[in-house]
Amino acid sequence: MDPLTLGLLVAVTTIVVLFSGISVAVGLLLVAASFLLIFDGTRSLEMIPEIFFADLNSFTILSIPMFIIMGAAVASTRAGADLFEALERWLTRVPGGLVVSNLGACALFAALSGSSPATCAAIGKMGIPEMQKRGYPDGVAAGAIAAGGTLGILIPPSVTMIVYGIATETSIGRLFLAGIIPGLMLTALFMGWAIFATWRSGNTAVLSPRSYSLRERFEIMPRILPFLLVIVGVLYSMYGGIATTSETAAVGAVLCLLMAITIYRLWNPRAIWGVLRDSTRESVMILFIMAAAGVFAYMMSSLFITQSIAQWIAGLEVNRWVLMALINLFLLVAGFFLPPVAVILMTAPILMPILEAAQFDPYWFAVILTINMEVGLITPPVGLNLFVINSIAPNISLRTILLGSAPFVGCMFAAIVILCLFPGLATWLPNLVMGPI
Amino acid sequence: NAEELRLSHQFAPGDLRHKVAQMVADDVAAANVDLTIKIFPSGSLFKATEQYQPLSRGQLDMTVLPLSYAGGQRPEYNLTLMPGLIKSHEHAARVNASPFMGEIERILNEDDVMTLVKGYLAGGFASVDGCITKPEDVKGKTVRAAGKGFEEMLQAAGASIASMPSSETYNAMQQHVLQALNTSSSSFVSFRLQELAKCYTPAADVALWFMYQPLLVNKTTFDKLKPEQQEALRAASAKAEAYYLEEAKKEDAASVEAFKAAGVEIAQMTQADFDAWKKLAEESSYKQFVKDVPDGQKLLDMALSVE
Amino acid sequence: MSAPIAVAPVIKGENAFVRAVEALTTFFGWIAAALTVVALIVTCQMIFVRSFLGQSTIWQTEAVIYLMIAATTLGLGYVQQMRGHVNVDLIPMALGPRARRVLAYAVLLATIGVSSLIAFYSWDLWHQAFERNWKSSTVWAPPLWVPYLAMPLGFGLFLLQLVADLVKLATGTEPPFGIKEV
Ligand code: NA
Ligand code: NA
Repeated sequence: MDPLTLGLLVAVTTIVVLFSGISVAVGLLLVAASFLLIFDGTRSLEMIPEIFFADLNSFTILSIPMFIIMGAAVASTRAGADLFEALERWLTRVPGGLVVSNLGACALFAALSGSSPATCAAIGKMGIPEMQKRGYPDGVAAGAIAAGGTLGILIPPSVTMIVYGIATETSIGRLFLAGIIPGLMLTALFMGWAIFATWRSGNTAVLSPRSYSLRERFEIMPRILPFLLVIVGVLYSMYGGIATTSETAAVGAVLCLLMAITIYRLWNPRAIWGVLRDSTRESVMILFIMAAAGVFAYMMSSLFITQSIAQWIAGLEVNRWVLMALINLFLLVAGFFLPPVAVILMTAPILMPILEAAQFDPYWFAVILTINMEVGLITPPVGLNLFVINSIAPNISLRTILLGSAPFVGCMFAAIVILCLFPGLATWLPNLVMGPI
Repeated sequence: NAEELRLSHQFAPGDLRHKVAQMVADDVAAANVDLTIKIFPSGSLFKATEQYQPLSRGQLDMTVLPLSYAGGQRPEYNLTLMPGLIKSHEHAARVNASPFMGEIERILNEDDVMTLVKGYLAGGFASVDGCITKPEDVKGKTVRAAGKGFEEMLQAAGASIASMPSSETYNAMQQHVLQALNTSSSSFVSFRLQELAKCYTPAADVALWFMYQPLLVNKTTFDKLKPEQQEALRAASAKAEAYYLEEAKKEDAASVEAFKAAGVEIAQMTQADFDAWKKLAEESSYKQFVKDVPDGQKLLDMALSVE
Repeated sequence: MSAPIAVAPVIKGENAFVRAVEALTTFFGWIAAALTVVALIVTCQMIFVRSFLGQSTIWQTEAVIYLMIAATTLGLGYVQQMRGHVNVDLIPMALGPRARRVLAYAVLLATIGVSSLIAFYSWDLWHQAFERNWKSSTVWAPPLWVPYLAMPLGFGLFLLQLVADLVKLATGTEPPFGIKEV
């Protein structure tokens, strides 16, 4: 069977299986195991536990449970509500101050974490209930966090940028710098859409500026002091040469737990167990999907489907912008099914030479690729961030989350178009800091 | 019917180790013996440290692998990354042809693996504060080394060993969580550590760090090939081995150029520094090896006896 | 307080087997949570020892990884019991009650099939690591059978919970896909 047909068969099977109501992780394992058995024989089936184990065998992945605990600890106390209350009192002139500040928090958190689901879980756990409580539409609240979470891999540090840098032998430092301006631009686009969608929903009360007296504004400050201390602690451990990016997640989790227990008097063992139970439930669910997605990616690599399609595109003789459009489409479809890191590992070595031949800047392309991968995180059938939101906000249906996220995908497309028109948005900063290539 | 072999490794397509694999694949294809080798670079099939097990079980046909990565399954392999054991690329070539390497091959064969291309790569130290030439230089520093033998020696020198994945090293050095790093000349350039390092101690006339990174094949798979296919594979491998040795020598100089161009200070290890490291290694990693491995002393003596 | 996620409600007179399995998976849910907390503490200990005492960190990174792998696999059954494994029920929602019931059985049996496969092969992997005394290739060099053990154990618990779920589906304790008929 030729790779394109086989790829189509895998895609259709995956969609049907994942929509059947089977749990996502098991569905991915089922599809992977079936195709491996049919096209590769039993020798590959034996490999599944090793691959499953290897995919979890990484310290970087650890930041996910740690950030989940951080979010759960904050959400279980008044700390989150206090924080957003303070933000609302200070951001009175900004329409939709709460959703804007949530997206800002996502961007800030993205600068602390290299992973998207972690960013999503940490902010969503406290942010979504607050937005719902204050009258923002469910779809906007869920979509904003799902999309805002994807910034985790665009704004440095970024796991996918590191993998891209190693696979293509480009500079990781330069890649990180290239992601900053596009990351901020995407954040702004998200904010713009969120405000517009809230306004359109008719619930304009939350958008209208309320005025708070100076007294009211300063009154709340002591209540967010503990939270500010946690942020200072996390920033200090990360930029003070104390801990690596992944380790910082643990510092954040411990500080938030300590804050919840000491300052917010979360002494009751039942309440502490509640935090741990919720975090365990969420992190087991996410890590199970990530390991299963790793097995699925192994199947795809083993059957050489992704690579063959990339090679086919590489062999086409077309105008450089048609080539770019095709590559974008291909990455987009690959991202629907595969985790970002797997897409990069399989395609980068094949696409890099043709991109160089067509004279596309590899750092600019890394940003384009990352945004494509971000789309994959909030689109079916495998959208890790959608599942994270579904798990942390069980009262919002997956359908609402999906529909709420769709316009943010539009923002990402807009960002890709803008970057194609103005490549300098990605290349200016690295060239400024590190000199031209 | 045409036979296809799958080769997986962890290196980027620009890396020497990929080029060696590609060369074998190209030559075998050119030999027209109905044999193709499909390469999965950058860890796109199996992860860096997960290649040996599928290879030994026939789930993977070929790999290019730093053999000490499999030291947990076969502790004997730890001898292929021992501080000061190999003195130069020429010495490495003689070790490759020695009875010591024959003994390693025997162990590989027990796991249903055989060697096609032998090769050692040299490496050095990069650090973000102060040059590292002698044991005192690492005292109190956090260092990441690429292998057990080196970690034991560095620990004995008073360094703090941080075990972290290679993908975290760039970030960690940037944040000064990691102050020094020990790896191959090729990997230094692949990871672009010249952008961060303040000082680089390359492998030169005196070199401490040599790691054995052969191209391996599953033995049963190889035995099942037709004689003309085996012949083509052998011929391609012999040619690649000569290329590997020549290029390995050039990699050291090329890495120095890259670090120099980035304005990094270049330090040199003297013979006295080397002797101090070696002495330290004998008391730490060599000793530990002999303790861990049955017949370890015999194997170590075999390796040390190569002139 | 924490978000109200109900632990599967215990219905009186429910099957003793189901209750025993759910007690077991809940117990391992606690263990998973405890392992995560230990991982958290070990990470902080590592940062402290390395940054403030300047000592070597040999075992921590690896230990934390293994703790988290164990937490993930041992928690599978508990999370299944709490219906925490996210799914997309597009097709079940579109089906009539009878077809939905058939699909529920098919999905559950397929899940049992896949988990048995992984439980079996991971037991095989564990056995190999144990028999051949495989160690991790680090200075710490812990025997690999210890972390590998979490996989057959975890998938075994997952399997038990799935069988309990099958019983619940057959006895009508729980409607197919938890969708109540109107
Ligand atoms: Na980030
Ligand atoms: Na997707």
